[in-house]
Amino acid sequence: MAPYDENLWYKDAVIYQLHVRTFSDSDGDGIGDFRGLTTRLDYLQDLGINAIWLLPFYPSPLRDDGYDIADYTSVNPSYGNVEDFKTFLTEAHRRHIRVIIEMVMNHTSDQHPWFQEARSSRDNPKRDWYVWSDTDTRYQGVRIIFVDTEMSNWAWDTISKSYYWHRFFSHQPDLNFDNPAVREAMWEVMRFWLDMGVDGFRLDAVPYLVERDGTSCENLPETHKVIRDLRKRLDQAYPGKMLLAEANQWPTDVRAYFGDGDEFHMAFHFPLMPRMFMAVKLEDRKPIIEILEQTPQIPDSCQWCIFLRNHDELTLEMVTDIERDYMYDSFANDKAMRINVGIRRRLAPIMENDRRRVELLNGLLLSMPGTPIIYYGDEIGMGDNIYLGDRNGVRTPMQWTGGWNAGFSSADPERLNAPVISNPVYGYQSINVDSQRRSEHSLLNWTKSVIRTRNSFRVFSRGSIEFLKPINHRVLAYVRQLGEERVLVVNNLSSSAQAVELDLRSYKGYIPIEMFGRNLFPRIGDLPYLLTLAPYQFFWFRLRRI
Amino acid sequence: MAEDTFLGDDFLRQLMSVGEVDLLVAIPTFNNAETVGQTIQAIEESYQQNFIRDRVVILNVDGGSTDKTPEIVCQSDGHRGTGRGITSLRTVHRVTSKYAESPSPAKALRTVVAAADLLRAKAGAVVSPNTVNLEASWIANLLRPAYRQDFDYVAPLYVRNKYQGLLARNLLYPMARAVFGRQIREVYSDEWAFSGRLAAECLAQNIWNDEAIRARPEAWMAITGIRSNMKCCQSFLGPKVAPAPGTGPDIVEAVRQTIGNLFRCLEIYQDDWLAIDGSQAVPTFGPDHEITSAPKPAGQEKVFDLFRSGVDGLKSVLPSILGPDTYTKIQDIASLEPAKFRFPMELWVTTLYEFAAAYHRTVIARDHIVQALVPIYRGSLYSFFLEHADSSPDQIEVDSEILCGEFERQKPYLVERWKAKS
Repeated sequence: MAPYDENLWYKDAVIYQLHVRTFSDSDGDGIGDFRGLTTRLDYLQDLGINAIWLLPFYPSPLRDDGYDIADYTSVNPSYGNVEDFKTFLTEAHRRHIRVIIEMVMNHTSDQHPWFQEARSSRDNPKRDWYVWSDTDTRYQGVRIIFVDTEMSNWAWDTISKSYYWHRFFSHQPDLNFDNPAVREAMWEVMRFWLDMGVDGFRLDAVPYLVERDGTSCENLPETHKVIRDLRKRLDQAYPGKMLLAEANQWPTDVRAYFGDGDEFHMAFHFPLMPRMFMAVKLEDRKPIIEILEQTPQIPDSCQWCIFLRNHDELTLEMVTDIERDYMYDSFANDKAMRINVGIRRRLAPIMENDRRRVELLNGLLLSMPGTPIIYYGDEIGMGDNIYLGDRNGVRTPMQWTGGWNAGFSSADPERLNAPVISNPVYGYQSINVDSQRRSEHSLLNWTKSVIRTRNSFRVFSRGSIEFLKPINHRVLAYVRQLGEERVLVVNNLSSSAQAVELDLRSYKGYIPIEMFGRNLFPRIGDLPYLLTLAPYQFFWFRLRRI
Repeated sequence: MAEDTFLGDDFLRQLMSVGEVDLLVAIPTFNNAETVGQTIQAIEESYQQNFIRDRVVILNVDGGSTDKTPEIVCQSDGHRGTGRGITSLRTVHRVTSKYAESPSPAKALRTVVAAADLLRAKAGAVVSPNTVNLEASWIANLLRPAYRQDFDYVAPLYVRNKYQGLLARNLLYPMARAVFGRQIREVYSDEWAFSGRLAAECLAQNIWNDEAIRARPEAWMAITGIRSNMKCCQSFLGPKVAPAPGTGPDIVEAVRQTIGNLFRCLEIYQDDWLAIDGSQAVPTFGPDHEITSAPKPAGQEKVFDLFRSGVDGLKSVLPSILGPDTYTKIQDIASLEPAKFRFPMELWVTTLYEFAAAYHRTVIARDHIVQALVPIYRGSLYSFFLEHADSSPDQIEVDSEILCGEFERQKPYLVERWKAKS
């Protein structure tokens, strides 16, 4: 096995994604803050995660939950200040937890001083920091991403009397990355945080950095050049820091963002996520195997990031029309659950609060190739509120206790930035960290256990994968291998008990050891290896030759 | 106990892995390596176009092919999709069973219905690899009524030219219609569909080894459905392409298989049909069947010669089957000049009914009775050629309906002969 390279830490990470605003409020103003988050680091360390991905915490008018940044080098006063952030960072590192922050490069808020200057007059020096046009017909045919709210990728600026380009909301003008000054400014922003000690950036909306006539304005070679230049600077000045790409594209298209190991270190595997849900609903491994077999190899230093749920809708852009219809019908029969091209629901409600299915999906997440991301609250099975508008329904306060405001804040409940979930099924009275800590068999403790197991075997984070294809299609089985370390994973995707015969002849003589109970199973021989699985059950076996 | 284990362990293991399904399409094969690939493709297309969300399986039941037909069935075609490679939501299973070393329609169909029952299929269809123009839409048209509209038996409707399917049009359909009271044209068919309920009903019956049923068990299943008051319908498929000369059964074998089967079904269900009067239409999906024009087939004179020589050769047998009056009339028409020959419709129906009653009474060996019908049928066939040489498809349609009416009109005579002691 290759010697351990500390700079590849992101390959072994289990990332916990959270929003400062909704995690823990220290000062009783109803809004989460860095001081509150810092007090929860012991919880996160105990959970077993080793990296935190923070949603945007910059000053912002908050018209897109912070993805409309008005100042890149400061902290939104509601969440604290830069000193609070530094303290948080130090405390996280003290617990061996790395910190990944958002870097929204593609666009700013229209309230950012850069845009305010740019729109002030056509000859302002910052004018060329954004993309302007006298007509709204340029880049015709480029798709609109937020189809529910935007009619065009152009918006009329009443001050400078011209159109500006925006791939997302109209209050988020796209920066002009053809302008070297913009590229330099963004690097300075990154340096600001790198010097402080952050471990990585999740770069938002990467495919859209550069525009060209006659193209889709996505994934252009010029965009890759911007990334490569950035990466080069990063490696030279800050080795061991990581760039994670948000590129909601097919794997073959995302592959380019890894370059030759000289662009992003990691990228999200967007198409896999809906297919994990689909596979469980269909009770058929086909969607998962199909997409992973289409996933190209990536450079050794790179890694896919995989996830079940996040702060956005469960995006259905990377599925076929037929699959999308199926997903909607299966998981979002109430129209209020749908937004843009996706489903605004959390993991537990999507799985109808079926603990077995939640565990199965987490088992898949933590055993398939890639760095897993756990969205805050999913480790305890939090619910959502689809009536909060936009995607705020999956961004409700973390449920710490069964007490006042779920232990999130001491503020008057009416003052909270978002109401806590309070229905009888998912409400904080029944679903909270405090009560689950005390129950040995709670989802929280189960999650801790499975993360601990994953963290104990680097084969999960760095190993190869070989799919076994038993004729029972309801069973998804694969062998992860790293050097001499081998793990057999067998998942029953169906709601009924299944028997499966696995062809394990190439592992003849190995003894499967079930990894959670450490029980020995019969030695593998020449005959098909017969296993029976309860509904939604999964096994992780360490294969040992003794 | 051997009877309880007609499904092999390997086949059961395959079924176990498939698990519960919504739909099953079966392909009985015997050395169909050249065409079975197309059949599989049509089924997969149909599944993907029409049943994308449903749990499906393709089942091949093979009668001992030596040309690797089952291997071709099981071959994966890989991903035929777009650049994104997504072809269907679910796994389309392919299961194959070699049920015997030589072809047996009954064993094949019994395996199919057993699989459908074990997999709890809501609907199943059977298609033939010999149907060279099988299309995805055919499969959908067969499955939909059973799957979506709760029908238990779905018979096909085809476009045929006026000289195609004469045994069905002039004998099997009108007689089965008169006897069992349902207007279903093609109960003897290569393509049809069934519900899980009908599969379970038929699987439970101990008739699969019956000699007269073995060759055309699909008709017995259809009639079982009809007589169990299950919901039956017809669904339009498209043009039925005649098999290449020499590939289908010859006329003797066809008569033995179908008429022997029909007579046996009359006996099996005699408690049900004796009291039936008239017939009822069944729901039809899509256009109705269609008859098209066609050039006159060659070799008609030989058909008449075979009729005449057959009647002469069977003069020791026919009197024990037919009533004296009927036999005399048969002899009379056999002596006519070929150009003036006519086989009167009334006589044709009476003759058939007397054959059926003779079969019931087993006046001689049953197989001999059925074979004795072959030359008589040839006479009817020759008469059809003469009478309808210039008939339009519409006229043939009208005459066909008149013939059906005659079968129904004379049914009391069948009942009377059937009940007669000797």
